Amino acid sequence: MSQTITKQPESGAAACQRRTIVPRHEVRETPEAYHLTVYVPGADRSSVEINVDGETLNITARQGWTAPEGWTAVYRESSGADYRLVLAVDRGLNRDAIRAELVQGVLTVTVPKSEAAKPRRIEIQG
Amino acid sequence: MKFIRYQTTPAYHPGRSFTTLRDEIDRLFEAAVPVFHPGAQPGRFPLDLFEDKDAFLVKAELPGFRREEIELEVADGALTITGYHRNEAAPAKEGEKAEEPAREVRVRRAVSLPEQVNIEKIAAQYENGVLTVTLPKREEVKPRQVAIEVK
Repeated sequence: MSQTITKQPESGAAACQRRTIVPRHEVRETPEAYHLTVYVPGADRSSVEINVDGETLNITARQGWTAPEGWTAVYRESSGADYRLVLAVDRGLNRDAIRAELVQGVLTVTVPKSEAAKPRRIEIQG
Repeated sequence: MKFIRYQTTPAYHPGRSFTTLRDEIDRLFEAAVPVFHPGAQPGRFPLDLFEDKDAFLVKAELPGFRREEIELEVADGALTITGYHRNEAAPAKEGEKAEEPAREVRVRRAVSLPEQVNIEKIAAQYENGVLTVTLPKREEVKPRQVAIEVK
């Protein structure tokens, strides 16, 4: 069964405003809903925004950790960037019932499927 | 006979002391394709090292742990960060597959520190999935002045 949540490329203009990276994420499907896990270390609850607009699900989160003033960076691997994830969604989702939770930098988003999209067992008559 | 041991300081590169050739190749690929989660691959979390005149600061991106699941150790001039987390499988409802499979995550990385640190004063914070460790440098032993009379 193909996934109904797929990635969409970002538009160049919007992406240049503030440096962002695509956070590591996983999508898991159950008969009832899609479960999206997004890893956004450094973001706190007030800096996460989840928007469903038309055919896309947009998740952004601001990076809250900054190096203290006056320290020298000896070695860096993290990007220090904000997070931005854009996924294409189709109409089989119950947008009003989206739930999200953020615990220690892990954002869990549950997107329930609309009733029509859930698998149904069809009884054979006669 | 006196035995004198000389210790040379190797060229300092904190991340490299504990990486292998495979890691270096992975790092080249990460740099070439930045959209694929630079540094955030399973099993390898991003580490940063900062310094000011009195202390070091190590930042590790470790989302999804509880405070007690993270262990810090300082030995042999290196700070080792270990995280271990296990999710038990959620019970299956009637007829359906298990809601969530059991998951185990174990990560461990070490950062070598260019100078001695004062172990008793190390402080660590874990907030929003970011671990910040502050390691004050050991105060230098002041040279003793000895007056030597030359006869």
